[in-house]
Amino acid sequence: MVKRRTCVRFTGSAGPFAPQSASRGLREHKRCETCERCKRCGRWCEVMLAIEPRDPHLVLAGLEEGRLSPVEALEVLKHLVEPVQARSVGAERAEELSSASAWRLKEALAELDSLIGLGKVKALVREVVAYVRIQQIRAVRQLTCEPLVLHMIFSGNPGTGKTTCARLFGKIFREMGVLEKGHLVERERADLVGEYIGHTAQKTREQVKKALGGILFIDEAYSLARGGEKDFGKEAIDTLVKAMEDFRDKFIVILAGYRDEMATFINTNPGIRSRFPIHIEFPDYTTDELLRIADLMLKKRDYRLDLAARARLEFILSRRAGPGNEHSGNARLVRNVIERAIRRQALRLVEKQNLSREELMLIRREDITDDF
Amino acid sequence: MKRCVVVGKPNVGKTLLVLSLAEYLRARTVDITFCDPYGRRQLKTYAIGAAVLDLVGPHPHQTRCLQSIVVGVPAGKGRRVVELVDTTGLVDYIHKDSQVRKAMAQTLEAIRPADVIVHVVDAAEAGREGSGPPAGAIDRQIADFAGSRGGYFIVANKMDLPDAARGLARLQRMFSGYTVLPVSAAGRTGLREVKRHVLRNL
Repeated sequence: MVKRRTCVRFTGSAGPFAPQSASRGLREHKRCETCERCKRCGRWCEVMLAIEPRDPHLVLAGLEEGRLSPVEALEVLKHLVEPVQARSVGAERAEELSSASAWRLKEALAELDSLIGLGKVKALVREVVAYVRIQQIRAVRQLTCEPLVLHMIFSGNPGTGKTTCARLFGKIFREMGVLEKGHLVERERADLVGEYIGHTAQKTREQVKKALGGILFIDEAYSLARGGEKDFGKEAIDTLVKAMEDFRDKFIVILAGYRDEMATFINTNPGIRSRFPIHIEFPDYTTDELLRIADLMLKKRDYRLDLAARARLEFILSRRAGPGNEHSGNARLVRNVIERAIRRQALRLVEKQNLSREELMLIRREDITDDF
Repeated sequence: MKRCVVVGKPNVGKTLLVLSLAEYLRARTVDITFCDPYGRRQLKTYAIGAAVLDLVGPHPHQTRCLQSIVVGVPAGKGRRVVELVDTTGLVDYIHKDSQVRKAMAQTLEAIRPADVIVHVVDAAEAGREGSGPPAGAIDRQIADFAGSRGGYFIVANKMDLPDAARGLARLQRMFSGYTVLPVSAAGRTGLREVKRHVLRNL
């Protein structure tokens, strides 16, 4: 067992309870500092080792398995809860100090930062955020300022986070006062292109109207220009371009699609390139990043991989998502593998009686498979 | 829906308090959802009297899972819907029965996100001649854990028994920073105050 140099001190309780009324249980285990392994409270040391990851589930598991008494469990839980509370109090204060929207902006930016990889994207967002803010300040000081043109083109393989980023952009721009509502309207070719002559413009304008105050996100945008001479897709693009000029400060258009197709799309439509000043490329994730994404997903769902399972996951990801596999699905691949593993773990456990918390959280090597 | 969780040591009258409160709020029958540590749920409909006979008893750990009742509390002109959750009693020591331990873990899980925590203590026990401190280590822990987050008050139950008045005074001295309400769940007294405090904390 790992030895701890100092045990965490349990100082009983502050508040209305003076130390003389501290219970026997607590007094015995109190103040066991500077000991390799306490003479009296060997159990406490184990307890503290067990909750090292600061996970309330482990504390409850300790209670279930009879390693902790409810008194001790509550004591530990209290210590686990406190930092969270301190943060929420801090949050309230921040809200009081600045406006609520500044806080929400910070949250959205933090959410963006918590996405794994996407270094270039994050840097660009910072750039845009700073640009918008300076433009706003300049406007206040009566300096000339360019109207904000924030239409964007996202290009990247499937599952590289294009939609996730667009959604976050909506939030960020709303809190910065660029957009009124910041909602995301996700559309594809079929929603914009009509069935007969004249129908397309009508349909496209309808979608634009829905997106006013938010973001119009057009997935696989190159399909609008693929149909040839007589295709209505061209009409949709024309209508869209007109709307972008008309409602310049009311909404943002994001065209998204796979990298190669987007490149040809932009090159064949010179007007498009100049109207979308921001181009963001979403690179493929490396295996290491995919693994970190997997860890994050599992943590959010209260699951955990053992070492063998992790190795197997790494093997699968490196084989499926390696270079030359553009359409592997990237983060979506990770999600699919993990969801399959969770289902297989459930199948493995469903017949068992008396499941421990540990078992319910652990995903083993045999749960992870390649086919899903 | 807001959750109001009733906690305390075993055999202090948590279940009876929940049922009396439901009765006080004009419920004739109660739909009790039993949720055991394995996540199995079962719904039973009881008349209040039958529920008391069936669920309340003289032995500790009569309740071994979360039992929740949804009640409407009259507030102003409308009603607010509250889920009253009855829990397994918490003890100071490591219990020998693994079922009880699981149920206690479930209790702790339930009080972490609760909106209101009603902490039940036994006033008669606290006032008994020659007993030690009026409440145990677990009561202190609960007060420390829940008291810092608001929506928490203490109910001194069994006020109909002798010695209870003395016990109430001792409890009020011990938990001087918190609200302590004298209640007799069996005698149906003090429930109005409990209702008011639950409402105030919603």
